Amino acid sequence: MSRELFLGRLRTGLSGLPPETIDDYVADYAAHFDEGVAAGRSEADVAAGLGDPARLARELKAEAGLKRWEAERNPSSAATAIFGLLGLGVIDVMILLPILLPVLGVLLGFAITSVVGFGAGAFVFVLGPLAGAARDIGAAMLAGLGVMAGSVSVGAITALVTVGLVNALVWYGRLHLKLLKPALEAQEVRS
Amino acid sequence: MPEAVQVQLKRGVLELCVLALLSRADAYAYDIAARLAVAIDMGEGTIYPLMRRMQSDGLVDTYLVESSSGPPRKYYRLTPAGRTSLTAQKAEWLSFSASVGEILGEDQ
Repeated sequence: MSRELFLGRLRTGLSGLPPETIDDYVADYAAHFDEGVAAGRSEADVAAGLGDPARLARELKAEAGLKRWEAERNPSSAATAIFGLLGLGVIDVMILLPILLPVLGVLLGFAITSVVGFGAGAFVFVLGPLAGAARDIGAAMLAGLGVMAGSVSVGAITALVTVGLVNALVWYGRLHLKLLKPALEAQEVRS
Repeated sequence: MPEAVQVQLKRGVLELCVLALLSRADAYAYDIAARLAVAIDMGEGTIYPLMRRMQSDGLVDTYLVESSSGPPRKYYRLTPAGRTSLTAQKAEWLSFSASVGEILGEDQ
């Protein structure tokens, strides 16, 4: 494989990352080719030594995804981190899907319950006093408020569990990505 | 499977090897990659994701050195955190490999 072909495939594999990050990564490998050729190796030899550019791109991308999830906890960075790990084959979809799908289904159910519950609470809060329940306006409003507050807490707990789940997946992926490091970090914490 | 085990083993000790190389002298990535490729038969390409990770973990930092041939080279050096990590990982590796050696020895 020629230098141009290797760098082109690497760049294609990295697409989706910020352009300056891609340039940065590609520059590393371009410099590697320059050094190798200056040392008297052929471009094909250097490319063979580097390995598969698509695989390297997946590795770089997964690492960038993990960093982003650690920096900003939001749905988009969670998706990037998990898809990065999936792309590496670090998280085995076939093994995890049967476990993850029901869990995700339950979480989604809770999220929907929380939104619907909030709406229903608001409905009771606003319309309760107007409707026939004129006997007890205060009770209707309080009931509405109660349902809304309950829904908000269900929503908050769902969000916490979801963040925990993504953290667990990232931890699992990292454990496979680098075997020694998590063990050593745990040891540093202990000592 | 033996091949997969070997890859995982090498991946695990690669960071330790890089830390050890850098503890002797600062080096640029091509140099590190070429030396490790010869020593432990590792794909040279994997060194770059590793160096990025070690840099963002604060184990190494970089500086540019003018090169007589071509553009300036990016040199890596250990940070104090990198030295601490090397000491810890080295002790862990030595005791681990000694334990494995003992078990393998008993087998013969």
